[in-house]
Amino acid sequence: MEARHVYKTYGSKSDKEPKKADTNTCVDTKSVIEAVKDVSLQIRKGDIKLIFGPSGSGKSTFLRCMAMLDIPDKGEIYLGDECLVEPGVDLNKARARIGFVFQHIYLFRHLTALGNVELALRQVFKLPKDEARKRALDALTEVKVTDCINKYPSQMSGGQAQRVGIARALARNPDIILLDEPTSALDPELTGEVIDTLRDLAREGTTMLIVSHEMPFAREVAEEMIFYDEGTIVETGPPSLFFNAPNTDRAKKFMTRIINRTTREEMNV
Amino acid sequence: MLDVWQQLIILLEGVPLTLSISIISFFIGMAVGLPLAFIRVYEKEVSFVVDAYEKIFRGVPEIVLLLLFYFGIGSYFPSTFGNAFFVAAFVLGLRSGANQSQIFRGAIRGVGDEQMIAGMSIGLSKWRAIWHIMVPQVFNFSTAGLGSEYALLIKDSAYVYVIGLAELMKRAIEVKYSANDVVTPFVLSALIYIAITFPIAFWLDRWGNRRKKKIGL
Repeated sequence: MEARHVYKTYGSKSDKEPKKADTNTCVDTKSVIEAVKDVSLQIRKGDIKLIFGPSGSGKSTFLRCMAMLDIPDKGEIYLGDECLVEPGVDLNKARARIGFVFQHIYLFRHLTALGNVELALRQVFKLPKDEARKRALDALTEVKVTDCINKYPSQMSGGQAQRVGIARALARNPDIILLDEPTSALDPELTGEVIDTLRDLAREGTTMLIVSHEMPFAREVAEEMIFYDEGTIVETGPPSLFFNAPNTDRAKKFMTRIINRTTREEMNV
Repeated sequence: MLDVWQQLIILLEGVPLTLSISIISFFIGMAVGLPLAFIRVYEKEVSFVVDAYEKIFRGVPEIVLLLLFYFGIGSYFPSTFGNAFFVAAFVLGLRSGANQSQIFRGAIRGVGDEQMIAGMSIGLSKWRAIWHIMVPQVFNFSTAGLGSEYALLIKDSAYVYVIGLAELMKRAIEVKYSANDVVTPFVLSALIYIAITFPIAFWLDRWGNRRKKKIGL
């Protein structure tokens, strides 16, 4: 999968972007948010790449553009050989091949865990009932949430719900899974179980592009880390580069802040 | 002179007609209002048509629409619009559809766009996501509105006496003449209206709350 020179801006009236400007008093200082500015990124089968950077820098928007959940203003998104921004491309088919895990989970609230995972298999892939059920159960087993198969999202813990979210993306064997800060909306004691699940996926060679600030995890599984700030990729390299000596000042500063925070948290435990 | 019991019996005989007009138009309204709500939210290019429809049916008094369709259009199409029951269900149903479209539009907001995005993310097309994800949840957010819409329909059904249907209101007027009593038939019909309105609205509301509880809202 590849993104080539992708741009995405939001007008001030956009209802999709949370209105950050409205929360402070100077509303009109920046009416257009350039969330993605000329971003190119390639991810091959089996790759695990991790995007990190300050909040509000446009990482999530870029990820949504990759999944064509937001349509880029400019630039190309390739899934295999297919260019997804061309007119006439069946985006629903393309999205079915891309798994997406949301920061705020977004499970279908009216369906059980099993129903959530089954839905795409039944309605998009048109699998017969038994086979859909079997594959959904396999996916739920893989993320270790067999105990809440028949529970509704409201009856699960955040960690369980997010693992169901991962199972929902996983069950249809997508070409790639995009994960948008899968742990950042969870209570600290629940992030571990989700990270463990991701670690398992990494071990199995799942292709993943993850937005995350879980640094120990990143160090362990990521082939490449991408520092993203102000709508663009600032620096790219293996984890060792970022953990030792990033080239850019901005990355250096950000890493110092993150690592201080992480060690503080570990000492508190 | 008719005594109170005789009056009551005559009035009660109108209840099936009042109920069937209200309930049929309620479901016509739902069949019309639900898709229109989604069109207004998700098909912005054609939503002006929906808007025009809503404005007409919310803006023109029912009684005018009933007379227009029954006596006006009915004289050109006697086999359909010449039928008073058909016109009653048609006018009240479409009027209710305009209201229900607004009720459901609010409910769609309540369900939230993120459910829709999650649906698209698994590969569902827009309308399939609407069908499988939004429609089942929309009812959780609209039972209170639907309850009052039903109550409104019961009350609106009183207007159809103008096209000659012998429902509750029409009977109350007739009893007034034959019993020579201007109080009892209207008090009785008021009580009957209350009795057939609130149990169903109450039941709808309770059903909604149970559903909400089940999914933890």
